[in-house]
Amino acid sequence: MSPTRVDVLIAGTGFGGSISAYRLAELYKAAGVDPRNIVVLERGRRHKHTDFKQSMHVENLSEIYELIQGQGAQVVVARGVGGGSALYLAASIRAPHETFERRDHKPDDGPDRRIWPHQISRRSLNRWYRRAERGLRVNRPSWKQVSKSGGLWAANLAELGHTCDRVPLAINPKRCQNVKWCHTGCIFGAKNTVFTNYLASAERLGVRVMPNIQVESVRPSSARPYRYIVDASTMDNEGPNPSRQSNGSVQFECKVLILACGAMGTPPILMRSQNSLPGLSSHVGRHLGVNGDHIAAIEYDPKRVERVLGLKNYKDFHKGKPITTMTYDFWVGRRSHRYDGTRFNLQEIFLSSLTNFLYDDGRAPFGDPSWWGLQKKDAIAHWANRIELLAMVEDTHDGTFYATPPTGGGAQRANAGPLAVGLFNYTLSEQSIRVREAANAAMKKIASHKRLGKFMKLTETPGAYASHPLGGCRMAESVDLGVTDHSGAVFGHEGLYCIDSSIIPTSLGVNPSLTISAVSERCASILVHRGKELGLPALPEQYKARRPREIVGERRKP
Amino acid sequence: MDPREEHARLLDDLSRRGFLQRAGTLGLGGIVLAAVPAAERLIAATNAEALVPLVSDSALQAFADTMIPGRKTSRTDLGNAVQAGAIAGVDKRPGAVEADALALYRHPLIGFNALEPAFLADLNARSLQQGGTFVSLSFAKRVEVCKGALAFSNPDRLVWEAAAAVPFTAFCAAALIPEQTAKKASGYRVMGLPGAAPHGYRRFSYRKKLSKERTRRGWLK
Repeated sequence: MSPTRVDVLIAGTGFGGSISAYRLAELYKAAGVDPRNIVVLERGRRHKHTDFKQSMHVENLSEIYELIQGQGAQVVVARGVGGGSALYLAASIRAPHETFERRDHKPDDGPDRRIWPHQISRRSLNRWYRRAERGLRVNRPSWKQVSKSGGLWAANLAELGHTCDRVPLAINPKRCQNVKWCHTGCIFGAKNTVFTNYLASAERLGVRVMPNIQVESVRPSSARPYRYIVDASTMDNEGPNPSRQSNGSVQFECKVLILACGAMGTPPILMRSQNSLPGLSSHVGRHLGVNGDHIAAIEYDPKRVERVLGLKNYKDFHKGKPITTMTYDFWVGRRSHRYDGTRFNLQEIFLSSLTNFLYDDGRAPFGDPSWWGLQKKDAIAHWANRIELLAMVEDTHDGTFYATPPTGGGAQRANAGPLAVGLFNYTLSEQSIRVREAANAAMKKIASHKRLGKFMKLTETPGAYASHPLGGCRMAESVDLGVTDHSGAVFGHEGLYCIDSSIIPTSLGVNPSLTISAVSERCASILVHRGKELGLPALPEQYKARRPREIVGERRKP
Repeated sequence: MDPREEHARLLDDLSRRGFLQRAGTLGLGGIVLAAVPAAERLIAATNAEALVPLVSDSALQAFADTMIPGRKTSRTDLGNAVQAGAIAGVDKRPGAVEADALALYRHPLIGFNALEPAFLADLNARSLQQGGTFVSLSFAKRVEVCKGALAFSNPDRLVWEAAAAVPFTAFCAAALIPEQTAKKASGYRVMGLPGAAPHGYRRFSYRKKLSKERTRRGWLK
């Protein structure tokens, strides 16, 4: 089998892959070269907005999600063109200054140091944040656009003297129909996924996107100017009964390879390639994180809400946008390093109706079951009085792939269902537990103020639930501390890049998509500027990074 | 146990017992597949296949009714039969049985059949200690059986957690209802969740400022 030769091969169509594709396509266009030599691979299939369903039917979930069970953590990832951007809740917040200055880490993780490379700080990232916000069309909802659930959270906080901000969102307010079904894909085309901006614009410029191809491993090529041969599988994802398993193989040869498969996808590819890529950092597959995600809920008493907060018409928490308000009060004022690992932010969020299973409301008499049985049934029947909260805490990255993941993805799959078993373990460090307990205490205090509501903590089943996996190929100052440098370039392997969530070295304190996008914009820009060294077109004088066009496509119009 | 050993054992178990082939598809949280080693322990301890009750449908429905109790009914949301005596009838609202928990246990994308022999054998053994088969027990005694099995002290708790996850998914996610609306899904009705909203909502906000804000743009510096 002779490999298909391309200039740039990008594995993954999420934020990192799509941003890289678009910026490189701009370079090619400006240089007068056909961007068809840039190819983006995606293991999942392509969905139009009208293919998505407002449904938690098990067959629909199998189509768009993968739920990876590791030892000690359950991680949700997307499958399909657009990656996580197809299913995210679109909260787009800049990570605070303190995140990038953190020095805390697990006890066995090297010397005392700043965890992020010195080139990256909030100040240095600001211009890339601006660029990503423009690309993703981030806007801040007015108070009239804040959902009732978010408004109640804000009012509850205000009653205690706290502040609460509106959350910037990558959602078009005119197209949004306020139904809180972002988590299964937006049928209205209102959510600004990468296939409405970066990836769509890259394709319009000529980049080729090839769905249903999964990258398995990488090895060096000796045929200069090509550097890497990539072995990939074709995936059976289409038709009425897809197996979602490999049904063939393909090869590509490229000058530049960008791995952008996310924290659950990129590390396994490099782990499988370790024998072919000598000198790869020993940190590959280590320092997996969950962005400090920690969820809980509050069941409010409607009468107390009306009496204490003056909010009438207490209902309709299923309406609106899934995230609208957030408090930073448990973060600000803690600037010095002695606070590293203690801060958190609290955000109102709608995850789905299924998360009922995760909360233990503690209303049962001592010794009786409270997460199942009659007491739990009562709690479920009060679901409409409930809001969910996401604490994003400063934890450590506690996960490690303990074995080289098999081909066919980074996890063991038995079938076409959404479940896979990931070969990683996740044991919360003392710091990770402590900061979560502090978040629990804060949320409980807020919820129970003047008996407004009842705090519902996460059921005491061990483990972390994560939809924001990070790390596994973290960026660092040197190869003995991480896998890539500040630009996503893999140490010791010219032309090999990781540009995705896998290079983020710490939890962020905010939803990660905007920071992943900003870091990706920065990495892509550095790559564009050194393209000539790598055999890509030289940067012409007239090159200018522009905002990607908005290309919404077919959508449902109510 | 060292994670590598645990993983090696998991793969060995999966291969040796042919669980993957039998499971067809596995879809319900990692919890089902993660419970397979524990199911293996139970099988080894109890010769489970020989003990699997012939009335597994009613036992699974009775267990689902213990997790999310409901009213007595003869038909589920999808029109499937409810086994005699499965629902204890301790709650006036629809429960997990009415929300088609049994059909979800049997759905190929869930793969619960990999765990079913072990689960039913353990359920049966624990029920006999309370005086009869699980279906024949009073609701209070069914609860006692499940309390013991779902206690953190039970090393095989994972199998029971997997079994418990199914009725919750059927009820709270309406995982088998094609048109996911409260009209069709009894779980949604109990929760007060309308479900799919293809026409969108107009009134969704209090439409007023409800808190002092810390930042001008919505993020910290």
